[in-house]
Amino acid sequence: MRAAPLRVLRMRVLRIAAALLPLALWAGGGARAAAPAPPTSVPADPASSDPVARGAYVFQAAGCYGCHTDEKGGGKPLAGGRALKTPFGTFFTPNITPDPQTGIGRWSDADFIRAFREGVRPDGAALFPAFPYTSYTRMTDQDLRDLKAYLFAQAPVSQPNTPHDLRAPFGWRFLLPVWQAMHLDEGPRPADPSRPAEWNRGRYLTEALGHCGECHTPRNALGAMELSRAYAGTPDGPEGDKVPNLTPAKEMADWSLGDIETFLEIGMLPDGDFAGGSMAEVVRNSTSRLTKADRRAIAVYLKSLPPAQ
Amino acid sequence: MRIRFLNVLAAAAVSATLVAAALVVTGGPAVAADPVEQVKAREALMKKMGGGMKVIGQFVKGEGGTQEEVQKAAAAIAEVSANDVAAVFPQGTAQGVGDSHAKPELWAQWSKTQQLWSDVRPAAAKLVDAAKAGDKAQVAQAMQATGKTCANCHEEFRIKKQ
Repeated sequence: MRAAPLRVLRMRVLRIAAALLPLALWAGGGARAAAPAPPTSVPADPASSDPVARGAYVFQAAGCYGCHTDEKGGGKPLAGGRALKTPFGTFFTPNITPDPQTGIGRWSDADFIRAFREGVRPDGAALFPAFPYTSYTRMTDQDLRDLKAYLFAQAPVSQPNTPHDLRAPFGWRFLLPVWQAMHLDEGPRPADPSRPAEWNRGRYLTEALGHCGECHTPRNALGAMELSRAYAGTPDGPEGDKVPNLTPAKEMADWSLGDIETFLEIGMLPDGDFAGGSMAEVVRNSTSRLTKADRRAIAVYLKSLPPAQ
Repeated sequence: MRIRFLNVLAAAAVSATLVAAALVVTGGPAVAADPVEQVKAREALMKKMGGGMKVIGQFVKGEGGTQEEVQKAAAAIAEVSANDVAAVFPQGTAQGVGDSHAKPELWAQWSKTQQLWSDVRPAAAKLVDAAKAGDKAQVAQAMQATGKTCANCHEEFRIKKQ
């Protein structure tokens, strides 16, 4: 047994990693951040005619801020550098400010869309799925363009990326296309016409933007989401952390739509307790900032999921 | 003789006062500090607040709860929030002690803890006012603000619940 503070530190690091790293075999817990999400230059508004305002909404719904800001280290918003320690080694999140040298300032719209949809950098090299493109691949072109417009309206920060420090063979980037061929199912899903628009919106928010499955879906031996058990949660997160099942099978079996909406809005569980840790951050930076209609859509979608064990 | 007796009496009184004062300052041997019991007491306080939030939540969600119940719930939350932070989180009650879910950082960053705990009280006071008025929108808003103070501290200092 290590000394308590060290153990806790390790646990925190592992939790951060788990929330942020789709490669991880385990999942659970996640990012912690104390400060509020960055001020948006314009208020987030999904119905605005201004792409930057729409992009601000996408940015919040997709939870970009947490990983790409090294809050604990005093880093500037979106300049990256947050260390994600994992069993595969340490990832350092990249700078996504519009700085042309060290950020993404030279990326074209096509580059940007390709990174999210195909997990490929502008130079053609594969991205590690620590960037959750297996979920973001479902984002629409429109949302991606809006997100880019928002990011490019933020202050550029000149901060070179720190190279990842990964163990072989996980750091072998040339192996990634193999993993992608096995586990990346590209592109947005067509709407399911047998379901109401609200349900389809809920699926999009849950699956694509919210990338909820990255933590709440169990993973197989290669670190990919086990889609046959989508949102079933996992008992064996780092240090025994448990990630709840989002389907109406276990913890949330008796939750009403209102229970889910309230949770997403303020983080309160039906018994009056409040979520802590990573999910508290998700609520603070992301789900509390969604429109009421979007929270409702997520609730409708989650209630419709087949119970999974 | 009589004076001497009074002196003795006075000395005894002073001593008794000092002992009593010492007991107050140290918390006294009577309430001493079984950390496991302290964790249990804290959990009971938290459950009391949570129970109050649950009732208010049901009211806001339109799933039940009368105004009277909401008032009682808000009063319970306010009552708990009036506790001294050092009494709720005594040293030596971190994770590992009993069923504690408190991270050691809670004590390492004590001024932050004090701030987070002191945020609850004014929020709860507004909740009490809103409950008195009985206006659902006002209650919802006050519940949200109070909930934020709960979540802020849980995010920072509570380990994940199993």
